[in-house]
Amino acid sequence: MDMPNQDKRLQLLRSAPMDSWIALSEDESRIVAVGATYEEVVKNSESAGFADPLLLKIPKVWMPISV
Amino acid sequence: MDANFCVSLRLPYKKYPASHGYGFYYVAVLPVSIALPLANSPRSKRFEAIIDSGATRCQFQAAIGKAMGFDIESGEAEETLGINGVNRIYMHDISLYLPGGVVATRAAFSYELPVPGLLGMEGFFEHFQVIFDPVARQVGLDRIHQS
Repeated sequence: MDMPNQDKRLQLLRSAPMDSWIALSEDESRIVAVGATYEEVVKNSESAGFADPLLLKIPKVWMPISV
Repeated sequence: MDANFCVSLRLPYKKYPASHGYGFYYVAVLPVSIALPLANSPRSKRFEAIIDSGATRCQFQAAIGKAMGFDIESGEAEETLGINGVNRIYMHDISLYLPGGVVATRAAFSYELPVPGLLGMEGFFEHFQVIFDPVARQVGLDRIHQS
């Protein structure tokens, strides 16, 4: 993924609802489904016709992660 | 991804927002999926897991495990000390689908984990030579197959 696409993906993450799960298209260029839970985003992505999305968890607030 | 074969990957770091309005930081990530450690168990959808050399073991969001059929709370419970304090985790045997083939490992599930998954020493780093390249902003993964 080159830098312009990285920046586009960064904007997608910023645009996603906080405290949610999102499904990205295979090329990670768009959000194809959103859900409040893992199961909901899986269901929504399958309903939208995306069998192999990439799932991410959007935190309650964006900040550097330390785990 | 089931068969064992040599894999050499160079994956660019991904940008994560550092705050809502501005700023970002780089994270080394890998799409993975998990399943119950039984033959023909369905896999989770691919999710983005952080490659974390500071993690003792792999850890995953309990919501993913629950959806895949794990009885999360029946797992051996442990408390771990992280930077954010004490977290309760539940240990389970899992199948972890990685580039180059599936790995059987024991991993932790946590409801508090703020990301879908962490790839740690046990279950991940023991199967790859990992090179973090801060100049090219990429991570190199070369699968190690032990006979």
